[in-house]
Amino acid sequence: MARIRNVAILGYGGYVPRLRIKATEIARIWGREEDALPVREKSVNELDEDAITMAVEAAKYAMRRAGIDPAEIGAVNVGSESHPYAVKPSGTVVAEALGIPPNFLAADLEFACKAGTESLQMISGLVSAGIIRAGLAIGADTAQGRPGDALEFTAAAGAAALVVGRPGNGEVASIEYARSYVTDTPDFWRRAHERYPSHTFRFTGEPAYFHHTLSAVKGLLEEAGLKVSDVDYFVFHQPNYKFPFAAAKVLQIPKEKVEQGVVTHLIGNTYAASSLMGLVRVLDAARPGQLIVLTSFGSGAGSDSFLIETKEGLPEKRAKAPLLDALIGRAKYVDYATYLRHRDKIRGA
Amino acid sequence: MRFNFRPQSHWRFKRFRYRTEVLRCASCGTVNVTPRPVCRRCRSRNLLREELPERGRLVAFTVVKSPTEEHKELAPYIVGLVEFEDGTRVVTQITDSDPEELRTGMTVERVVRKITHDGDSGIIVYGFKFRPLVS
Repeated sequence: MARIRNVAILGYGGYVPRLRIKATEIARIWGREEDALPVREKSVNELDEDAITMAVEAAKYAMRRAGIDPAEIGAVNVGSESHPYAVKPSGTVVAEALGIPPNFLAADLEFACKAGTESLQMISGLVSAGIIRAGLAIGADTAQGRPGDALEFTAAAGAAALVVGRPGNGEVASIEYARSYVTDTPDFWRRAHERYPSHTFRFTGEPAYFHHTLSAVKGLLEEAGLKVSDVDYFVFHQPNYKFPFAAAKVLQIPKEKVEQGVVTHLIGNTYAASSLMGLVRVLDAARPGQLIVLTSFGSGAGSDSFLIETKEGLPEKRAKAPLLDALIGRAKYVDYATYLRHRDKIRGA
Repeated sequence: MRFNFRPQSHWRFKRFRYRTEVLRCASCGTVNVTPRPVCRRCRSRNLLREELPERGRLVAFTVVKSPTEEHKELAPYIVGLVEFEDGTRVVTQITDSDPEELRTGMTVERVVRKITHDGDSGIIVYGFKFRPLVS
């Protein structure tokens, strides 16, 4: 993977449920200190929401911005680690709900938190090869965290979607380069039939998140012949508020180039949607002609990194759907008991 | 295998449930929700596929506290009457809101949500609901 030719982002959309739980509320239940919590609050799904319904919401905004006929969508990829069915593709329901006719390729993907950018890689490849005219790349999750585990402070709910297709009709941005970096690193996993994932605490940092993220970004910049100063925005996967800024510090990226793409302190880690959600917020603010480096991280482990250049069509397309901040802003807070009910952690009722 | 909720039934109604696609009678204007060859009112075969608008007006709503078995996990929930510009009305669940946040006349928009699910091994039934417009 390297130079990507003739691939554009035609539309984009993010979705965040309206419910939130404050990290201090989770800390209160489990007797944790409140001064070192990884996020301020996180999103919680409504009782009638799951990865499929949120994927539909984000994709609907993306298609509205793209102004595309559903019949032009040739592939629907949904990346998630919380697909509602173990066997029955989420993409089938998503496409039917969006009115996409049956002549399309559906694939559900799983690579922890980078399944959304995997979707983007694959759709970009299909478009670049001329196999499809356009496709939907989606990351959506209602992430799981064992009660009382460190992950419970961050595992959140949300979705982000991109309509990717050929350039030439007022596109939002172009995808210029793509690079992936993957190794066998057991930092986080969930075995078959298990409800909650397991992880290796501090081992999820240096050998996992930082090694893969930094390797992917460095490789991408080298391949594209760019320096940090040439790029306007850097978007990272954000399992907590600290990690994206720590990665930026190693690469000597100024904080101002990272802040716009960080939402984890407000909505938590939306897993497969996390880095794409950061991209959505950057696209909500960027001007045409700016360069963005988007880099995901998925445990197991790997990173996908993309060089994206915004285009003249961005401001007009942006106005066609709600900004991410409008969805984040409609927050309604719930207590821990309500959160347990919404996350299906009370069984036998 | 025995299902409490028949997948075939859900499959038959999916176009209406997911995106409010109906069959409007070109002869008498009646909206037919179920897939059928003739109009339920005038028996005309001249039926045209149509997707009801994504946005409508909330005409009335109430809170269901004593639901049927298949909806008990969502209770209490709100059921509303939504009217579109052409006067067509649908009865639907109103989601993403508490009763005190709603008022008649407000604009609501269609979303896809879980309606019910058949235990841990049967199907998940998705369908439209409406929520206050996010703008």
